[in-house]
Amino acid sequence: MDKTEKAIITEEEKEILLEIMNISFGKAAADLAEFIDIYIELSIPYIHVLEPRALSGYLKKEIKDNLDCSIVEQKYWGKFKGDALLVFSAISSRELLSLLDTEKDWGYCSDPIDVLEKESLMEVGNILIGACVGKIAEMLNDIVTYTPPKVIIETQPLDSFFNFQVEEDSSIILLRTAFKFKSTDISGFLFLITSNESVEWLKSALSEFMERS
Amino acid sequence: MDFSQIPYQINIGLVIVDRDLKVIFWNNWMAMHSGIKDEEIIGHNLLEFYSNLDNVRFLKNFRSVISFGNLSFFSQKLHKYLFPFNTTTSFDTGFEYMQQNCTMGPMRDKDNGEINSVYLTVQDVTDLASYEKKLVEANMLDGLTGVFNRKYLNSVIEKEFERHVRYSRALCFLMLDIDFFKNINDNYGHQFGDFVLKELSARISSALRDVDSFGRYGGEEFCCVLPETDIKFAVAVAERLRQVVVDEKFINGSSSIDVTISIGVSASCDKVSTPEMLIRSADEALYKAKETGRNKVVMMDEE
Repeated sequence: MDKTEKAIITEEEKEILLEIMNISFGKAAADLAEFIDIYIELSIPYIHVLEPRALSGYLKKEIKDNLDCSIVEQKYWGKFKGDALLVFSAISSRELLSLLDTEKDWGYCSDPIDVLEKESLMEVGNILIGACVGKIAEMLNDIVTYTPPKVIIETQPLDSFFNFQVEEDSSIILLRTAFKFKSTDISGFLFLITSNESVEWLKSALSEFMERS
Repeated sequence: MDFSQIPYQINIGLVIVDRDLKVIFWNNWMAMHSGIKDEEIIGHNLLEFYSNLDNVRFLKNFRSVISFGNLSFFSQKLHKYLFPFNTTTSFDTGFEYMQQNCTMGPMRDKDNGEINSVYLTVQDVTDLASYEKKLVEANMLDGLTGVFNRKYLNSVIEKEFERHVRYSRALCFLMLDIDFFKNINDNYGHQFGDFVLKELSARISSALRDVDSFGRYGGEEFCCVLPETDIKFAVAVAERLRQVVVDEKFINGSSSIDVTISIGVSASCDKVSTPEMLIRSADEALYKAKETGRNKVVMMDEE
């Protein structure tokens, strides 16, 4: 019980974290545009603290409205660690392919388009998650590494997917933002599910951040 | 323990480049497979040696690692390979070049933490990709005849139908059946029957365009999906197929027989508005061909 109380973040810490997310995502969007030619709008982020057992239900509810969605999952691992979920709503595969590749030399390839779509989704997702998580970590003086992205395309039942290994006696800090690729119809949500292990560190990193600024 | 040898000796390709893609490190694995010694490439831009990497996709990933410090994964499924190396075996893997999974990640300055270079690992996954390719093929093809199987044909019909609906392109379908196949089996044995199925598949496959999909629907029944084809042309194709079967005797060992086929032709239209109806219409036309004498092509009723 003691541990749980400590793990939950205060309103003030929430405010700081929101500010950090705002700045990080702004920088991420700016750098994506400047260096990678990916133009993205990230909306105002949102923080949600919830119990582990409520997580699956929460995500299912959030994602349900986007029936044709595809999800890219990637774990990030530093002092700041957790799970990143990038939920794309109804994807146009041709638009997606054009995000990374303006040359469109897919003619030689015998693979069906859905394989390429899946792989492109992972590649775009990897860059987007890397940009957002990387900028947050940078502001908190941390360096993170990543697992290879995994992708789930709509038809699978979501229940089997959301099978997080979390301690019962803990809280989860969930960061959420909506994104949209400019001049395309590609949009969706980014969820960062902060691991309970890094909550303590996060709290001290937040107070350090305040002292610095 | 001296660990400094590991990067050189490890059974994986390891390359380090600076922020301008100039090569700083090139391990033995890379030297062995590329035929380029480290002293030849170090100090040179990687793109000078591998111009295939001078593409938007690779460079975007590179800039992402430099800017955000994330890892970039170049999967075999999407990229096939980054470095065009020969495969390491003389057995046929089905691939021209070694298939690779590559990972790119940041390297930071020890003092200030700035990303000053980028590493790239290269893993040979040709064997895995080759197994996967064989499995995928096995799942698509009919074991006896080597043409598409029913399961795969169904997916082709679904996909082509979707295309037909979306872009309003013409789509035709042939259902064909060997006449009196039971008699062939009964009189010449099942081995000869199998020979007829194989020979017929080969003759028909070579008479079709690359865009057409031909497969075995079951037993002695075959079908053919003809995308972007109107019904007049489809009937002509069907007639050609009937000809290539009837023109030459089927000869195996001492047995030699004439084989004929009947063909039903259907086309997608207002009346035929689902993949199932496309198949059923061709099947009905085939039935009519059988009823009215066999060795002929019958078009579905158009009214």
